Amino acid sequence: MTQQKEEWGSKLGVILAVAGSAVGLGNFLRFPGQAAANGGGAFLIPYFCALFLLGLPIGWAEWTMGKYGGKKGLHGAPMVMGAIGKGRLARYLGVLGVLIPLGVSTYYVFIETWTFAYFLKYISGGIGIDRTADLVTQTAQSGSFYSMITGVDGDGQLFTGDSKYTVMSWIFVFAVNIYFVFRGLSKGIEKFVSYAMPVMAVCALIVLIRVLTLGTPNPALPDQNVVNGLGYMWNPDFSALGNFKTWLAAAGQIFFSLSVGFGVIINYASYMKAKDDVALSGLTASATNELFEVGFGGMITLTAAFVFLGLSGTAGAVATGSFGLGFNTLPVVFAQMGAFENIIGALWFFMLWLAAITSSLSMYAPSVAHLKEATNWTQGKSTAVIAIIGTIGALLTLWFTKGGAFWATVDFWVGTYLIFLLAMVQIIYFGWVFGIDRGWKELHQGASIQVPTIFKFVMKYVAPAYLIIVFVGFSIQSLGAELRNSWATTGARVGMLTIVAILVYLIVVTYIGEKRLRAAGVDIDDNTPAN
Amino acid sequence: MTTLGWIFMTVSLVMVWGGTFWCFRKVLETPQEEKVPPGFGP
Repeated sequence: MTQQKEEWGSKLGVILAVAGSAVGLGNFLRFPGQAAANGGGAFLIPYFCALFLLGLPIGWAEWTMGKYGGKKGLHGAPMVMGAIGKGRLARYLGVLGVLIPLGVSTYYVFIETWTFAYFLKYISGGIGIDRTADLVTQTAQSGSFYSMITGVDGDGQLFTGDSKYTVMSWIFVFAVNIYFVFRGLSKGIEKFVSYAMPVMAVCALIVLIRVLTLGTPNPALPDQNVVNGLGYMWNPDFSALGNFKTWLAAAGQIFFSLSVGFGVIINYASYMKAKDDVALSGLTASATNELFEVGFGGMITLTAAFVFLGLSGTAGAVATGSFGLGFNTLPVVFAQMGAFENIIGALWFFMLWLAAITSSLSMYAPSVAHLKEATNWTQGKSTAVIAIIGTIGALLTLWFTKGGAFWATVDFWVGTYLIFLLAMVQIIYFGWVFGIDRGWKELHQGASIQVPTIFKFVMKYVAPAYLIIVFVGFSIQSLGAELRNSWATTGARVGMLTIVAILVYLIVVTYIGEKRLRAAGVDIDDNTPAN
Repeated sequence: MTTLGWIFMTVSLVMVWGGTFWCFRKVLETPQEEKVPPGFGP
């Protein structure tokens, strides 16, 4: 290896980077909707069960595997997994750890662009909702802006008329991403998240305070007040706990929210030193994610919607899904805040943009590391190649916007299904091939805390079993319909072909890397355990 | 909001705020390895 060794500048840096990767739009938009639809406060019971039995143990396994790979000078998920699993099968299964973040980045940066475009509109006078009009008209106006920004009505729409605004915003957002990835770990990603995370927390706190002090804005509708809004989110319905779907939804939410099975933690942890702590770091990153999800997401979104739209309006908004709630309904809610509309709207979407960009930065880093490791190219050259791939993916996303078919297809297969699969592969290799005793020892090397011994049992038996049940349940629930949808439209078909193209590219790069590293005498199959 | 709603909300908030505060305090309390400038040390 001739390249300068990359590493994190501080222990807080890697924690904030992983937390930034985990905190995303789902914390503010998906979590409250899932909770309200699945038992309200009672949803938190299966949610915290999944956190302790699934999210934290798999997260710790990933941190440990990544750090172990780093000890051997390996950073890309395929090579790290190859060392953990001692061979080619694990290495090529590890390709999923690069496919997932790179595949998701193709559409995630597009959605990130929406948040930035909304933010720009709010700081320059609003998105065109007439405050004096009735709610139906305002909802139509909000929907019209949403359609213009997302191009959801037809393929190619974003390259015509006012929608070009989205493409211009995308160019800026993508350039910012590439710039910080190009700068590398400590000078780029770490530096950015060390500012972005505190700023995001301050924005969330301001919006939270504003929402909690709304009181009863319309005296003619006394039931539409903050306390009842909180009740809509938090009043427990214990009957939901008897429904398997509630447990499935809670496990899914924890899973996607914490970014486990995503390939990012393995890559980030591989730049830590052998004596660095991963036990407390993993716990802190997860706790930060939970703070944003439960502490902010669970308090802001539905409370604000309830106060202005009432019970039926909020239920209707939840039914439209995360994007309908966040980009269509909330602007209508902000319009009811009078003089505060543009300030709160700008703060809200700026916060969402920060949440999104701290996640998207983490999506490019694993593929740059993988390419760099396989070819021994420089950071600049590797970033340039990934930027070209990212641009091609983004252009497809920007063109095939009709009904969101392209990105919905990539999101289901890469951003949902393969994440379950990779997490299963990882926890099984960690507990059963690398060995739970060895893994436990690695987890505690340099650790600032002692993880309770019960987690050793959880990591070996409970987490894999829990995950298999969730995966099977999820497959039964969603697979049939998604298989049909994935070839139903042009956008969906292009999405499937894009996934295959990225997969082929990654397999080829892994093959090249395998040959190069072997020739260089690197112990990629872990024949000699690292200390 | 029902009494149980208040309880669920309060317990959840205490867990996430308290847990995050505890973790960051612990991280910041742990001494960080000092970086040795080039040219110094053995």
